Amino acid sequence: MTTSPNTALGTARVLAGTSRGRLDLHAHRDAHGMPPRRDAAQLVRDARAVRLLGRGGAAFPVATKLASLPVGSRSRVLVNGSEGEPASHKDRTLMRLAPHLVLDGALAVARALETRRVTVAVGDPASYRSLHDALLERPDGQAVRLVRHREGFVGGEIRAVARAVSGGPASPPGRRVLPTVHGVDGKPTFASNVETFAQLAVLLELGVDAYASVGDADEPGTTLLTLLGDLAHPGVVEVPTGLPLASVVGEQAGPLLVGGYHGTWLPSAGDLVLSRPALRAAGAPLNAGVLARLPHDTCALGEVAAVARWLADQSAGQCGPCVFGLPSLADSVERLCRGEDVRADVSRRVGLLPGRGACAHPDGSAAFVRSALTAMPAELDTHLRHGTCGRPVLGALPVGRAA
Amino acid sequence: MRLEIDWTRCDGHGLCARLLPERIGLDDAGFPVLGDRTVDTDDLAHARRAVSACPRLALRLEQAPSPATR
Ligand code: SF4
Ligand code: SF4
Repeated sequence: MTTSPNTALGTARVLAGTSRGRLDLHAHRDAHGMPPRRDAAQLVRDARAVRLLGRGGAAFPVATKLASLPVGSRSRVLVNGSEGEPASHKDRTLMRLAPHLVLDGALAVARALETRRVTVAVGDPASYRSLHDALLERPDGQAVRLVRHREGFVGGEIRAVARAVSGGPASPPGRRVLPTVHGVDGKPTFASNVETFAQLAVLLELGVDAYASVGDADEPGTTLLTLLGDLAHPGVVEVPTGLPLASVVGEQAGPLLVGGYHGTWLPSAGDLVLSRPALRAAGAPLNAGVLARLPHDTCALGEVAAVARWLADQSAGQCGPCVFGLPSLADSVERLCRGEDVRADVSRRVGLLPGRGACAHPDGSAAFVRSALTAMPAELDTHLRHGTCGRPVLGALPVGRAA
Repeated sequence: MRLEIDWTRCDGHGLCARLLPERIGLDDAGFPVLGDRTVDTDDLAHARRAVSACPRLALRLEQAPSPATR
């Protein structure tokens, strides 16, 4: 994936100017200028006007989150750059190529909240170097604490990150605490994904009207996607929202994964539209923006089994139903691949996962497996009949530690 | 009120399922499966008893609705 090109289909905003490589401070200011200052109320108004949604996974409205934070030095800002999902590359692309845009966004939020406490948690080493160098270039760089955070998929969940950067374990807390109330150092925290901050910086740069001049009315502007597998533009792309999904992933039938490893398999793109609200309403949330179409020469069911096993290995080992449920589910999917008809067993196990963990990992993993089996009836049939489809598992869905 | 389980604390001894069988079942590994989570005033005393019996302080009664996690 590291060699994949970064493409902007139509509109380069957060990726503006990056086609020639990383933007240092000078090149960044040439491309984006200086963001104007906004107080908290103005920032909330702007974010609400463009219906900005968090770009990590939960797609929570940024304005609502921001409005719930007290203004003052108690508040914290947390930039989640852990990107623990090996299929996703958009955050590291931003941090490697446009680190100053991410920092502009984070520091603008900090200024609006009148706090100087900004933490950036980063997994990928190249992204860490890029941000490190960027901080040295900036006069306002000392306000930012850069932290290495390489704790996998579940450890990258925002509440786990908030805990880890406060000196605790990198696992989600058992009680439903909100970072806006109890975040970094136990203080109220505006915590969001790297891309959310870059989008905020672009919003400040362009203003509401220009920001909303492209994209869907539901979620104006652009979004980053990581496209994987048998697609015309694999790699990280920036697209305006509101495009037909088929224009990005192709018209052909065949199982399509929307929203990554906590996402949903669909039999085809149909007439779905690419925006977080639209995809959520269709039962296939975009999550962190991973879209994948499997190549024809790989064993589709085997790819699903490999991810199911990886998801089981990611369990933070805290919650019984997740610790026992995910490995048994992975076992059952492997048995399906070998042709044992354990479909009833899989449905039962899938049904026992949602809502039974401290984080959404069991729910997301269940959705991934359940939807795969419905979206791949022909593949399933072949395996149940012959115990194989004759194709090898090529690893089109990466499950190792992301590069 | 609403029944909640802190899954990081629950160790699956299943005492809660014995005290509240009409609401709580157990899975293969012995971890509780909650049926109807909403507890109204009639059942409150009954539910409170199960909550206070949980040896790991994992079972709780919380003000409904529970907040979103992020
Ligand atoms: S649900 Fe699973 S992944 Fe999430 S905290 Fe509990 S054990 Fe860890
Ligand atoms: S009594 Fe408490 S620890 Fe035991 S199974 Fe029920 S919730 Fe879990």
